[in-house]
Amino acid sequence: MALTTRQAPAAQASIRQPKGRGPLAWLPAISRKSASNRSLLRYVAGLAALLPALALAGIIVILANKAWPAVRVNGVSFLWRSAWAPGNTYGNPVKTDGVLHPVGVAYGALPLIVGTLASSGIAVVFAVPLSIGAALAVVEKLPRRASYVVGMFLELLAGIPSVVFGLWGILTFGPVLSRDVYPAVASIMPKVPILRFFRGDTGYGEGLMTAGLVLAVMIVPIVAATTRDLLRQVPALQKEGAAALGMNEWEVVRKVSIPWVRAGIIGASVLGLARALGETMAIAMVSGSLLGTMPANLYGKMGTIASTIVQQLDGAFSDGTGFAVKTLAEFALLLAVITLLTNIAARFLVRKVSTTALPVGRGV
Amino acid sequence: MTSIPMPASAGSKTARADMPLIVEAAPRSVSVQAKDLALGFGSATILSDLNLDVRKGEITALIGPTGSGKTTFLRSLNRMNDKVAKHWHQGDVLLEGASIYAPGVQLMALRRRVGMVFQRPNPFPMSIAGNILAGVKAHRIASKDHYRDIVEARLREVGLWDAVSNRLNSSPFSLSGGQQQLLCLARALAIGPEVLLLDEPTSSLDPVTTENIEAMVRTLVPALTIVIVTHNLGQARRISDRTVFFYQGKMVESGETSQVFEDPKEPETARYVTGRMG
Repeated sequence: MALTTRQAPAAQASIRQPKGRGPLAWLPAISRKSASNRSLLRYVAGLAALLPALALAGIIVILANKAWPAVRVNGVSFLWRSAWAPGNTYGNPVKTDGVLHPVGVAYGALPLIVGTLASSGIAVVFAVPLSIGAALAVVEKLPRRASYVVGMFLELLAGIPSVVFGLWGILTFGPVLSRDVYPAVASIMPKVPILRFFRGDTGYGEGLMTAGLVLAVMIVPIVAATTRDLLRQVPALQKEGAAALGMNEWEVVRKVSIPWVRAGIIGASVLGLARALGETMAIAMVSGSLLGTMPANLYGKMGTIASTIVQQLDGAFSDGTGFAVKTLAEFALLLAVITLLTNIAARFLVRKVSTTALPVGRGV
Repeated sequence: MTSIPMPASAGSKTARADMPLIVEAAPRSVSVQAKDLALGFGSATILSDLNLDVRKGEITALIGPTGSGKTTFLRSLNRMNDKVAKHWHQGDVLLEGASIYAPGVQLMALRRRVGMVFQRPNPFPMSIAGNILAGVKAHRIASKDHYRDIVEARLREVGLWDAVSNRLNSSPFSLSGGQQQLLCLARALAIGPEVLLLDEPTSSLDPVTTENIEAMVRTLVPALTIVIVTHNLGQARRISDRTVFFYQGKMVESGETSQVFEDPKEPETARYVTGRMG
C-alpha cells in the first residue's frame, strides 16, 4: 500500500496534462517551435543555395580582373589568331594602352580553343556510346554478380588519378595507336578535301587523336556509372509493357529504356564533356604541347587551354612585366566561359528533351 | 450485364455438376487451355494442379485473395514470367490447341496473339500516336501510309479520339490516369491480338473511369477472348461471362459468373464472394 502511494505522484507527473485546456492543448506550442525552426532552416538553406552562385561569380570576377590588362593588349582578335610569342623578356618593356609588356608579344587562342573543343569532342563521341553500352550490359544483360563486379571496376576506373592515365597514354596507348591504328585509318581515307584532316603524317602517338581517346577512357566511368543508375530507374512496368507488346530486348531498350532517361544521359554526357574540357595533366602529357599553330591533322601535336596554362605558367613568371601571367589568366577566363556555355547549351537541350518525353507523373 | 448465348448444356446445372470442365467445353470454343499447370519461383510453388479452359469470345474473370496465384497464372498465358528470376513451370498452356511452351514458339509472335494491359497505365516515353504505333512498328504490321488511319481507328475504338485528336504528337503523360489506361488498351489492340489479358486494369482508377473502361471492354467480345484479373468483385460480376476462383495456389471453382456468385459450390468460394474472406 505504501509503495503504491509513493509511486502515484511520479506517475501523474509523467502525463502531460495542461490545466483546463484539454488533451491537445500542447499542439500549438509544437507548431510554434517548428515555425522558428523553419525560419532558421530558411536562412541556412538560402545561404547554402547562394554559395555556388557566389563562388562562380567570384571566380569569374577575379579571373576577369587579373586578365583585363591582357585582354586590352591582345584585343578581340586574340580569339581567332594563331600565335604564341612571349616577346623579348630581356629587353625593355613597352606600354600599350597603359599596360606594360615585353616587345614583340603576340598571343592567339584559336589553336588552343580548337584543340580543347576537338579533343573533348572526340572523347564524347567515343565515350558516350561505349558508356551507354556498358550501362545497358550492367543493368539488363549481365548476371547480378558479374554486373556488380563490372560496376565496381567502373567506379575504380573513375578514381584513378589523371596523371596515371597520362603516363599510360604516352608510354603505351599512344605508341600502339600510332603504330597499328592511325596509319591504317589514314591510308583508307579517300583523298577528298574534307577528309584531308584524317590523312597524312600519323606521328608517334602524341597528338589530338591520342588526347581525345585518353580523355574518352577517362570519362567513360563517369558517363557509364551515371547512365547505369538512370537505367535502373526505368520502371519495370514500362519495360514489361513493351515486352508484352512483342518487342524484343533491343527494341525495349531503344524504344522505352533509353528514351525514358534521355535527358539524364545528355546530362551525364555533359558532365563527361566538362571533365574533358578541363582535364589538364593527362593532356599535358599526351598532347605534344604544340603552341601557336593549328594541329596539322587528326593525329598531329596540339595543345588545349588547360594543359597549356599548366605547362606555360612556370615560364610566364620569367616575364618581368607580368604580362604572360595575365595572358594565362585570360586563357583561364576563356576556358571558364567555354565550360559555362557548354553547360548552358546542355541545359537547353535537356529541357527541350524532357518537356517532350519525360513523365510529369500525373494520374499514375 | 450482357450475356453471350451459350450451348444449352453448358448452362444447365446437372451437366456442370457431373462432368469435368474439359468435357463440358466443345474444343472449338476453347481459346486458351491450361493442362496440369504448375508455376513457381525457385523453391516456392505459386500455383499447382491447374486445369482450365478459357472460352473463345468470352470474358473470363480470375478472382481470389492476394497471393492466390491468379496474376501469376495470367502472366503465364503470354509468358511474361519467363524473365522473372528462377521461374519454372510444369504442365502446359495451349493456345488454339498448340503449346505456347513448345520449343519453336517465338515469344514475339505469341505476344502478338496474346496482348496485355497492366495494373497501372504504362505509356512509353513517346508521343500519343507513337504509343499506338509502337507494336504496329515492332511487328511491321502496316506501312507508313496507314499509320494515321490506325491511330485514329484505335483511339476511336477506345473512345479517346475526341480527347486527344488535337495533340497526337504530344506526350501521353499529360493525360489523366484513365486516359492513359485507355491509351494502353488501344496500344494493345492495335496489333490485333486474339486474346487480351487484363491485370487489374482499373485498380488505379476512379469509379467513373472504371465504368467507362468496363463498358469499352464489353464491346471487345466476342471478337476477342478476354481474361481479366480483378480484386473488384462487382467488376467481375458486371463484365465477365465466366468466373474462376483461385485460393492458395489452386483453382477452387470455375463456372458461369452468375453461378459462382449466387450459387457457389465450394465453401471457400462462398466465403470469398460474400465478403467473409479476402
